[in-house]
Amino acid sequence: MTTATARHETDATAPINGAEFATPTAPDRDSLERELDALRRDVVARLGENDVTHIRNVMLAANTSELGGRALLQFGWGPVTFVLGTGALALSKILENMEIGHNVIHGQYDWTGDPALRSDTYEWDIACTSADWRRYHNYEHHTYTNILGKDRDVGYSFLRVTPEQPWHPRHLFQLPVAATLAAMFQWGVATHGLGADALLSGDKSLREFVTGARPFAAKAGWQLFKDYGLFPALAGVGAPRVALGNLLANGLRNLWTFSVIFCGHFPEGVTVFETDNTEDETRGQWYARQIRGSANIEGGRLLHILTGHLSHQIEHHLFPDIPASRYPELAPRVQEICARHGIRYSTGTFGRQLRSVWGRIARLSLPGPRGVRPTRI
Amino acid sequence: MNGWNSMDRGLVRSGLDRLFLRRQATFWSRRLRPLWSRTDGRAEVVEIVDETHDTKTFWLRPPRSWAGHDAGQFVTVTCEVNGVATRRCYSLSSRPGEALVAITIKRVEGGLMSPWLHERVHVGDHLALSPASGDFTAPSATRAPLLFLTGGSGITPAMAILRDLTARGALPDTVFIHHARSPRDLAFADELRALAASHRQLSLHLLTDDVDGFFDEATFTALAPDFAARETYLCGPAPLMDRAAGLWDGGYTHTRLHAERFALPTTVATREAVGTPTQATLATSGRTLSLNGAGTLLEQLEQGGATPAHGCRIGICHTCKCIKRAGSVQNLLTGAISDAPNQLIQLCISRPRGDITLDL
Repeated sequence: MTTATARHETDATAPINGAEFATPTAPDRDSLERELDALRRDVVARLGENDVTHIRNVMLAANTSELGGRALLQFGWGPVTFVLGTGALALSKILENMEIGHNVIHGQYDWTGDPALRSDTYEWDIACTSADWRRYHNYEHHTYTNILGKDRDVGYSFLRVTPEQPWHPRHLFQLPVAATLAAMFQWGVATHGLGADALLSGDKSLREFVTGARPFAAKAGWQLFKDYGLFPALAGVGAPRVALGNLLANGLRNLWTFSVIFCGHFPEGVTVFETDNTEDETRGQWYARQIRGSANIEGGRLLHILTGHLSHQIEHHLFPDIPASRYPELAPRVQEICARHGIRYSTGTFGRQLRSVWGRIARLSLPGPRGVRPTRI
Repeated sequence: MNGWNSMDRGLVRSGLDRLFLRRQATFWSRRLRPLWSRTDGRAEVVEIVDETHDTKTFWLRPPRSWAGHDAGQFVTVTCEVNGVATRRCYSLSSRPGEALVAITIKRVEGGLMSPWLHERVHVGDHLALSPASGDFTAPSATRAPLLFLTGGSGITPAMAILRDLTARGALPDTVFIHHARSPRDLAFADELRALAASHRQLSLHLLTDDVDGFFDEATFTALAPDFAARETYLCGPAPLMDRAAGLWDGGYTHTRLHAERFALPTTVATREAVGTPTQATLATSGRTLSLNGAGTLLEQLEQGGATPAHGCRIGICHTCKCIKRAGSVQNLLTGAISDAPNQLIQLCISRPRGDITLDL
């Protein structure tokens, strides 16, 4: 652990990843809050036409990709159109879930006044209802980010992804369980907010669970009907091709979103926190927890758009309701602020972060290491 | 879509919703909507005329859905200004029955819509236009003597009425008094002088602040001593309107005085020091906001973080109308107090008089 002296000697241009940094002391936390608040005000003042044009361009790409993909599956024949159609449909689902749906529902475009971009009415094309998502993601996950015991996104409750989580015999099987979750991730996302763990532990009654699950069940029914009933039926003889194409497109989207989301909070270097001290957090401490509890993925513009800018998980956790396309321009300034305040800014290539996450899932399926406590804020 | 009734359309919409094809349906219908919209239509900018150094007239080919207008009415223009959907009301300065309609817009320093329209809208662009509305109109067959008292951009609805009456050969005995800051701010001066020259019954007075001074009761009554007997159309900056209205018995409520406001009145209610902070409970979204007491209810809600729907923001278009479940507000235009529960109020012209609950 570095000492206070070492922190003040930290060179802003030195590599940030790798070393442990101490928690900023009180005066540093206040200046962290001031600087990040000022950064936020600055970018909000510059929001305008370009931001709306960007999201509409992505919507155009997603919609034409879906139409094209479904048309190729529906009316084409042979393996080439099958691959292209499935790929185009997968691309449209990825864009719709990541860059469009996740960001619009966060309220990133409410300032435009455009009814098609309202966070409270946008229903995204995935099995999870927007209402469930708003509650367990926008509210719970973003408020209790990486607090063990409160952020249910840590390991999605049943996987052990950080050593601070206590080991349980079921974790022995978590490699195949995680792989299954990855392939079926939209169903994990959709059911995550229903509180199955509370049902199993007895905190929630069956009746409460069933009532709460009703909106999900209705939406899931229509999603399944659309991809495995309606469109295959419209294809007549081509029904198996269309159904398989839709299944694979959903699967590709699931694998992609699982990878991006798990790389956001579980690679080596990301911190998990204990509940006690977080109750009376200051805004500066909240900012620090968001940074230390998140990790970025390095890449080019295409990667940023395909991940819905969750490649900038840190900037997203600092400013969840700022249009995500602004995160790349904020990143250098955030990094510089972190360096000066001695806060770890975790980043790495997609390959490296993914290997780190799977490596942990594998290692932590076995008991140990012992006695690793969550960090105090 | 001709044979479809609203129930059929409802079924289609609900089907699209359930199959979560709404994203596609909404996206493509918005792109194609200009072709068949029955409400807000897109008007094409055909010509832009510089009337003065800071005033332009936009001549528009109206949308297919255009149902015409009465002289003196206004439209709500919707435009994305810097990415934000913005609505403002503008009086039509052209007479009804022509192929094109005109809005004459003075560039307001620090304004949102007018600088945007002046700088970013060109011939060939499209503007979203609502149907015309408003009751600042002259009766179609009128023999009663008229009086127009206007200031600044308030001349626009008066021009529409005057152009209509003169074109139909139906202009009665008319006094037209217009106040502008300086000679270079006199829009339509040439046209008005030509009309006065060719119509003996039109008595024209173009006054400028720098030469003739500001609106003044004595000067006005000298120009139109029989003002109380004339159907009067009053439109201009709030101070001019308020001073003028004071000359009529009963002020704005006088039957022959028609007033069109472009801005909220400079009454004590708006200009007073910041009022006491209050709380607003938003019943539908379940939030509670603190209101800082400064400005209209709409402004205070926005300061508190809410984004209620709004339009002209001056009490004309009723977009911001919502139900006040409980609490008391004052109407800034009429001064009326609304105490009773479950009343419809317009947020932009109301001021809370305590804690309130709204259907938002």
